[in-house]
Formats: sequence, C-alpha cells, structure tokens
Amino acid sequence: MKLLKEEILNNEKYGENLYKMEIFSPYICRNAGAGQFISVKCSREKIFDPMLRRPFSIYDIEKEFNVFSILYLVKGRGTYLLSLLKKGDTVDFIGPLGNPIAFNMNSNDYLLIGGGIGIAPLYLITKVLTSEKKNVLFIAGFKNSNFAGIEKDLLKTKAYYKIFTEDGSYGNSGLATDFIKENINKYNKYQFYCCGPVDMLKALQEIFLGKKISATAIVEQRMACGIGACMGCAIGIKNEDGEIIYKRVCKDGPSFNIMEVIFD
Amino acid sequence: MTESNKPNLSVRLGEINLKNPIVMCSGTFANGLEYSNFYDISELGAITTKSYSLKCKDGNKPPRIWETACGVLNSIGLQNDGIESFINDHLPKIKDMNADIILSLFGESCEEFRELALAVKKIKTNILAVELNLSCPNVEKGGMIFCSMPEVVEKITISVKEILNIPVIVKLSPNTGDTIMIESAKRAKNGGAEAISLINTLVGTAVDIENIKPRLGNVLGGLSGPAIKPIALAKVYTLSNENILPMIGMGGICTWNDAVEFLLMGANAIGIGTANFVEYCVGLKIIKGVSDYLESKDIDDVNKIIGKLSNKQIIK
Repeated sequence: MKLLKEEILNNEKYGENLYKMEIFSPYICRNAGAGQFISVKCSREKIFDPMLRRPFSIYDIEKEFNVFSILYLVKGRGTYLLSLLKKGDTVDFIGPLGNPIAFNMNSNDYLLIGGGIGIAPLYLITKVLTSEKKNVLFIAGFKNSNFAGIEKDLLKTKAYYKIFTEDGSYGNSGLATDFIKENINKYNKYQFYCCGPVDMLKALQEIFLGKKISATAIVEQRMACGIGACMGCAIGIKNEDGEIIYKRVCKDGPSFNIMEVIFD
Repeated sequence: MTESNKPNLSVRLGEINLKNPIVMCSGTFANGLEYSNFYDISELGAITTKSYSLKCKDGNKPPRIWETACGVLNSIGLQNDGIESFINDHLPKIKDMNADIILSLFGESCEEFRELALAVKKIKTNILAVELNLSCPNVEKGGMIFCSMPEVVEKITISVKEILNIPVIVKLSPNTGDTIMIESAKRAKNGGAEAISLINTLVGTAVDIENIKPRLGNVLGGLSGPAIKPIALAKVYTLSNENILPMIGMGGICTWNDAVEFLLMGANAIGIGTANFVEYCVGLKIIKGVSDYLESKDIDDVNKIIGKLSNKQIIK
C-alpha cells in the first residue's frame, strides 16, 4: 500500500456515464492482486470538496506495460470530476487496498457473476483464472446496453461469457440471476465469485441456500479512510455461532463468503 | 527563535505538555498504526486513541458513512474492543511507535467511567492524558448526552480524578448550546480537568429519496469536516473568552491555515479529524505549515499567537 500520484494514459468513455481509466503505475502492477482496490482523491490538490476519497476495484492489470485500469460509473461529484481528467493528467490515489482474492486453484471450473458496475473486479479475476488455464464462465447482467463496451475486453480472455440485459437491448434478455437459478444444478461444483448490487447478491444467497456451493462476494460499502482506521465501512457478517459481527470492507474484505454477509 | 532558528512549537495545557500543538482526534486515527505506514507519528503533538468503553462495543448498524457538501456524516457508534483489549493488545504497539498518547474513554453511566478509570490505573506505561468523551448518551438519564448536564460533567471528572493521577481532558459537544457548554467547562474545571476538547461532531442526517430511507443505518450521525469549521471556530472563540481552561480546538481542520485560525481564536492546541481520511500525512503538513507561518511573521513562539483574537489570558 502506497500513496501515489500517477499519470493517466487514457480515460475512455465506455458508455453513458461509464469510463475506463488507464493509469501508468509500475508499483500497482507489481503489488496488486485481483479483488483489491484503490482509493482516489477526486478533488483537486489542496481542495477538500468532495471530501472523501472514492474506492474503485482494480479492473485490469497489464504488467507488461505497467498499466492498470479502473472501470467507473459517474454517479456523483467525485466520479464526475474523475471523468473530466485527461490523458497526461495525474491522479492521486492510495493502493492496493483490501485483500487480494485467495483463489482455490484445486478447482477447475469457475463461475463469475457480475451486475452493473459490479463487473469491475471480476474482469481481473477472469484474466487471472484463464491465464491458469481454468474454465471460466462469466455471467454479466445489466439494465440495458450501456455496458456493451466491456464485451471487447471479455473477448480478449479465454472465458466463456453470457451477457444479460433487463430490457433485452443487448445480449440475452432477462436477469442474470434467473439464468443462475435455472442452471444451478449444472454449476454446483463451480467456484463462484459475485459482485453487484445488493438485490442481486441477496437473490444469489437465496439460490445458494442449502446447497454446498463455494461462493465469494466482493462487496461495496460507503468508505471513509480506506485503510482500516475509521470503522466506517463496516458490514454485518454472520460468524460460526450465528452472531452478527461487523467487519471492515476495506481491511477485512472486500471479499467475503456470500452466505455470511448481511445485506441490509 | 530557538537555536535551530525554528519557532518554538511546544505548548502547555495545564499540566499537559505537547511538543507541538497538533493532536489527532479520537476515532479518526485509530491507534496510529495504520498511519505509521506513512510517517513517524511520534512527531505529532499527541495522538488521541479511539474511544474505549469498559466492554467491547459492536457499533451501529451500517451504512455508517455519508458524504455531505464539504463534510462527512458518520454513525460508527463507538465500535471498540474494550479497555482491557486496549491495554493488553493495542497499547504495546502504540508505545513501540513512541507516540504521545491521549487515551479517550466513554461510558454509559457515571459508574462506568469510574470503572474505566480503575482499569486505566493499571497501565504502567506513560499516558499523557485521558480524554473523557462526554458526548455519548447517558443511559441512566434516558440517553441524554453527559455534557448536556453540567453537574454530571463535574461528577464524572471528580470520580476519574480521584482514581487517576493523569491529567484529564473533557471533550464537549457543540449540540448543547453555548450556555451549557460554558457551564460544563466550568464544572469540568471544578472537577479537576486540565483542558477541554472542543468540538465533537454536530448531529446531522441525510435521506435517500430514491429508496425512501435514511442514508445512515442509525438515522442520525455526527457531521464533521470543513462544513463545520466556522461553527467550531466560533465555539472555541466563545469558550476562550470565558478563560476557563486551556483548549484543544477541533472541527474541520484540514490545512495549516485552518490550524492558525483556531490558535488565534484561543485554542492552545488543535485537533485533526476527518482530514486524516483523505490526506494521510496531513498532521505533518500542518506542523510544518504552522512553523513556516510563524517564521514568515517573524514570531519565535507559537504561544504568542494563541488567543490573539480572543480575550484569552494566556496561561503561562
């Protein structure tokens, strides 16, 4: 983990309010793993508004070029300011934060389920697993065709993928979770990695309930410090005794066993 | 100027000596460990630990953070491992970092504060001061915050002072209004406190209109950050004019300029809180900034600017 100011190589529009920012950073490329994130100071130097840094999953790492990227949606003031940055500008961030995913490489089959911007951490997971010659099925669900741009990235990997849109404007029509529900018996030996909106993760919990499925959720929470100091990004986790304890998404996560997470 | 030609930054708050007036606020710096990855935290005037209670506390239901214009709402709910865990697990690590420690404590009743003091009495290592967080609810009084009841402020301060031979700082809330704040400060002094920390966060909330629910799991939270700085500064000025006790002024301080404003308005030291979440090295930057400011004004001692804009009688 290091505080860095690095150069932006590209801040490409991937869809409506959707951007991929490529950042030159040998340090991140050397030290970051799938599932980790960075926290960006979106306000300008010496300015404290917007106040807090914004956490973003690492979307991709291209070690050979010392470049990593984040995929982000413009949702508020912070991400809006980020979207204005241009090639050659610097970006102030800290990273890598959180824990890298400890892959169970004994398995051969992996199913990744992403909803909306929740696909961001799953792309790097896909790359890591396919580079290990694992069989990866990537199921992505979106409201509409806005995320169609990510298909060009998926095509670069050796993963199988299916894209679902709720309005049917791109890929398959319907919910990604409905596909999982209908086909769960086919995939119950797969290792699952899931990231997306709370409703999607709750639906997956219901589908997995009572089945011996190993599933990891990469969760989001409003965050303040990002380094484990403030207890702001707490999330309820059910421990072995059934008690709910609060864990920090930034320091203890962001990956948890999906069945243990309390989604409010 | 001193021998090194740098202005003197050391300040005294009663019996509390700080090598410089830059203190980290409770709850925003954990116990310093995370920040020691970025700089030598022993260079700070002091670090205030997170607030510890007698037993471990789970904290509030998430979400706990919501950003506002120039500020942050939080409802952490004082999550902590309990005082015994602090003494056995955390304190040795802080001592390894050679930081000067202000230990923050909170209880839910007067008796709990007394029991906390008894636990702290066992600590062998040097603690600069204890800070009593009196902005937490008193369960015996229907959840009213302790510092809204000046007589209780005195009672708690006395009971802690009876047990501990360590300077006591009382942290007050801006939510009580000035009359009670001033009265509480007087009562804290009567009880034997050395200093006042001012201000804790302001009560606030925010609403998610899309999903028609509060933004915070606890509904109400504490507002901090630059949004509250003018209010904090006014409270410091108001209390400074009363000349009751030395003060650690805090509330939205992000830069050395902010820190100098608080010193001029009567704070003997300043606390940095929310800014730690954004600029991890902000403490060091502010120490340097204050020193450079004094040099640029040809002032050889930070004490010469403290209270310059209030009616404070400088406590020598």
